[in-house]
Amino acid sequence: MVEIAAVGIVKRYGGLVANNGVSLQAERGEIHGVMGENGAGKTTLMSILFGLQEPDAGEIRLRDAPVRFRSPIEAMRAGLGMVHQSFKLFGSLTVWENIVYGAEPRRGPFVDRGAARERVAELAERHRLAVDPDARVRDLSVGVRQRIEILKALHRDARILILDEPTAVLTPPERDALFAVLKSLASDGRTVLFVTHKLHEVTAITDRITILRDGRTVVSLRTADTDAGEIVRAMTGRNINVTVEKRQAQPGEALLKSVDVTIASPSGKRVVDGVSLTVRSGEIVGIAGVAGNGQSELVEALVGLRTPDSGRVEICGRDVTGADVATRRTAGLAYIPEDRAAVGSASGATAADNLAMGFHRTAPLASGPFVDPSAFAERARALIRRFAIRIASERADVGTLSGGNLQKIVAARELSHEAPVLIAEQPTRGLDVGATEYIHEQLVAERDNGRAVLLVSAELSEILALSDRVLVMFEGRVLADLPQERADEQSIGLLMAGREAEAG
Amino acid sequence: MSRFSGTLLLGRERLRVRAVALAVGFAALAGAALILASGYDPLSAYAEIARGSLSLAALPDTLNWATPLVGMALAAAIPLRGGMVNLGGDGQLVIGGLIGALAPLFLPGAGAFGAAAGLILAGFGGGLYAALAAWGEVRHGVPMLISSLLLSYPAIGVTSYFARFPLRDVSTGLPQTLMVPSDARLHVLSGPLNVGSVLIATIALVVVFADRRTSGGYELRMRGKNARFAGYGGVRLGRQAVWTMSCSGAIAGLVGAIIVLGSQFRFIDGALVTPAYTWSGLMAALLANGEPVGTIAAALFFAALQTGGFAMQRETSVPRVLTLVLQAIVILFLAMRRGLGRRM
Amino acid sequence: MIQSLFTPFLFQSAAQAITPILLAAVAGVICGRAGVFNLALEGQMLVGAFAAIVGSYFGHSAFAGVAAAMVSATVFSLILGYGATIFRGDPVVIGIGMNLLASGLTAYLLRVIFGVSGTFSDPGVVGLGRITIAGLAGVPLLGWAFARQSAVTWAAWALTALISVVQFRTPVGLRLRGVGEQPEAASTLGIDVVRYRIVAVLVAGALTGLAGAQLSLGAVSVFAEDMSAGRGWIAVVAVMLGRNNPLYAAAACVLFGFADAIGVNLQSHGLPNQLTDMAPYVVTLLALVITHRRRIIGAA
Repeated sequence: MVEIAAVGIVKRYGGLVANNGVSLQAERGEIHGVMGENGAGKTTLMSILFGLQEPDAGEIRLRDAPVRFRSPIEAMRAGLGMVHQSFKLFGSLTVWENIVYGAEPRRGPFVDRGAARERVAELAERHRLAVDPDARVRDLSVGVRQRIEILKALHRDARILILDEPTAVLTPPERDALFAVLKSLASDGRTVLFVTHKLHEVTAITDRITILRDGRTVVSLRTADTDAGEIVRAMTGRNINVTVEKRQAQPGEALLKSVDVTIASPSGKRVVDGVSLTVRSGEIVGIAGVAGNGQSELVEALVGLRTPDSGRVEICGRDVTGADVATRRTAGLAYIPEDRAAVGSASGATAADNLAMGFHRTAPLASGPFVDPSAFAERARALIRRFAIRIASERADVGTLSGGNLQKIVAARELSHEAPVLIAEQPTRGLDVGATEYIHEQLVAERDNGRAVLLVSAELSEILALSDRVLVMFEGRVLADLPQERADEQSIGLLMAGREAEAG
Repeated sequence: MSRFSGTLLLGRERLRVRAVALAVGFAALAGAALILASGYDPLSAYAEIARGSLSLAALPDTLNWATPLVGMALAAAIPLRGGMVNLGGDGQLVIGGLIGALAPLFLPGAGAFGAAAGLILAGFGGGLYAALAAWGEVRHGVPMLISSLLLSYPAIGVTSYFARFPLRDVSTGLPQTLMVPSDARLHVLSGPLNVGSVLIATIALVVVFADRRTSGGYELRMRGKNARFAGYGGVRLGRQAVWTMSCSGAIAGLVGAIIVLGSQFRFIDGALVTPAYTWSGLMAALLANGEPVGTIAAALFFAALQTGGFAMQRETSVPRVLTLVLQAIVILFLAMRRGLGRRM
Repeated sequence: MIQSLFTPFLFQSAAQAITPILLAAVAGVICGRAGVFNLALEGQMLVGAFAAIVGSYFGHSAFAGVAAAMVSATVFSLILGYGATIFRGDPVVIGIGMNLLASGLTAYLLRVIFGVSGTFSDPGVVGLGRITIAGLAGVPLLGWAFARQSAVTWAAWALTALISVVQFRTPVGLRLRGVGEQPEAASTLGIDVVRYRIVAVLVAGALTGLAGAQLSLGAVSVFAEDMSAGRGWIAVVAVMLGRNNPLYAAAACVLFGFADAIGVNLQSHGLPNQLTDMAPYVVTLLALVITHRRRIIGAA
């Protein structure tokens, strides 16, 4: 029987229609996959189901009765639970405190600690989600934290569990453990909504799949009756993934090198473990890997935000291992950071000011210690034209820009440095197709101009399409360094999961 | 006009003028209510403030009061522009004042040299003391907001001690140092005004220019908008913090010396702190979010308000402390409207 | 010298000096736990101190003074409570603004109500009496400290213990801790973050009112302009050092209170008060540097 259904959900954010008449039906005891590419509307739909937002049109039905959730509390009372992509946990509190938070067992005016811990232990055992009730959440790994999120929902007796991209941060064994738990929950009569964009997971665990594209429901399939090809076609509307036109690479000398870089966390664990890599002029090197395997820390060491515990970093032949960001930029580095809003730009400042960072001490923007505001403006206008950035004027505040245009500002600035080395982290995250294509073109153009480009991305298709060489990081090590011809989704996927031997 | 005002008032700041006007209006109303409740007449009180500050006779006094106030406002505004807070203005002020009082007495050389040396050394003293707070944050992680404030207490204590005991002018019965010789005093312009006002005015112009037209000013502004962005862009944040606080403290120290060498001619225990230049200056800087032109305008406004306050107290008996209350209300009103303040 | 330093009198004056700082620190802890950075402790205390004098004078009793202090400080705290939540203002600016408002407003009202400036004392003001517990005087150290203290001092320690229990053992305390750490997560789990924050700030306001009452009615019944004299800032530091834990913050307050009392004691040994008054601030600065240094080393 149909446990939960969304019928004709419409949700708009200003001019953007995130959900355009989306429908979904999940049956009791079923693991239902919700699939789609980035920006297809999956997360919006889930947040509406969970009461975080209300739809502009359409309705939600619970066991065929229409319901309205004005807040997550109402959704929780109706039996829904959600495990978000970014966990909503309190690091300084213990596991049991996090689980019973807001629904604490009491003894008089006090929290009944004994009852709480017992309840947690009981739930953990029943659903095979091993946790230590007294551990502090901040000390725990991502996999354990996810278990706590699930236990939170189970403590409130959730009959319908929504998981939003749960495997993005899990190692393969953790993922397998999660799947076992989900299967047991389903056989317990609970309904699981599993949001993902990963093909192999959906085929592994779901009973049925609903596929979204551009804010609409494309199709609803029975997993057993379909195959990867049909799913991909439904998700993308095309047969093939991302392709980029590019000529053969002509790599020259090494411009960016890391030699045996190691970074250890305070507990001694090696977050980056003896990584040596080389990026030569005229090539794009892509780093593939599940987020959390050391990529961010490696980039921090290359860029100058962190000093490695051992090893060397060289930019254009210069040893910059202990040097700060400013020195490395002078040595020839440009950097597109992961977080364009928090780090890559300054909201509240004009486009002219944002585009000037890094150039404000040299001509033509500066002479001596003085800067020329009209030169700022002229440069900004030129860049806005060249990169087709949609903004009112160079004097406008960048805080008003859309994600794609803001990323163009960041890219415009960094690319105009014409630095020999460019490091780009998640450069197309959250961007629409047009903006993504544009950024890709720019990266290839840089490479054709003889720059050394290091690309870090969680989107495997992007890595495969752009890179001349692909490195795979797993648990802080580089497992493989494959030229483009030998890099295919199958073998890279296996390497990302740590299965070196099988990748061949 | 657009090019000029483009340089004078950067875009978004223009929108704030309206918010400020609203805040002042609200404060005026709240103040009127308070005056009424105290048994006085708000209209005559406000009229006296206007007359006592802006009339031709009163203008020299207003400008004289404005000199240290604008100075302290700039001292507060410079770090605020970069998202940093210097709450130790009082401490830097008294250090500068004491140095200014002592230099002409203890240094060899003729009068003008003594005054110049006093001013320069006062700037150094204030700057070093403020840099201490910055260094505390850069090196040891102690927030300069707190350390700068805490540091002003020992500074006030030590200078007070010196004025009362070892360096006291025992011929008078008061806690003050010896008189600064007349040839070392700042040259008088007219009435109460002296060269110090010109000095502060010059500094004000320099600050505005530096903010708009130097790379250091650009970097500071960007840090104020997003410190991480500035850091990732290559700005050396630690060095910038120390330099910024040094400039801030130097101006504060200079103001102290200007007051001593221009008006009081001695270091008098408590006299530099009582008029609350530091806190009014801070309020002016907060009102403008550290933006120099707005800060100067706000400081001038507050100077008029306070000078007028003296007249108000004289003529209508409404305590002049009211002007400080009005200033605080303006700040709080603006803070509530989300236009003020940053993640500091 | 040491002998003459650690007299019963020292412990008594230390305990008295600690009281207002302790209350303000606990107030700061509550706000901190709720996620509202409270820099207005100085001004709140001042408002409380002034209201206490007014209340005592017109109400002819210490109780009226204390009540007036608590009510006034709580109302004053509405500025921070609403300003930092619903109006989304910057708590740093609001805190500084409140301190300046308190300073000006109390000075203004001092002139308007009592017709004096600077300080005010009057036989009509009823101070907080001392509660003498005869038996305690014999107990060394702690006994000396608590043998003769005002009711507010006792209340301060009782409240510290109470707040500690509430914070760590009750549902309200648990939820409050969550609100401060991850308001978004708390909100998703059904907690009204804004309401918790406002209530926390108001409760903290009442505590600072109590602190102010101890200041002006405690030892000698007098109000002096700006009499909080930086104690509010020391309380802020105690909150920071105590990492928002009432008991650790209390320990910091004990340290500062002793520094204060030793400073006063040294005065009687001939040192000028300008220098000895510095004692608690210097100690506070040193404590900040030392603890932060240790933390940086620990993190490496």
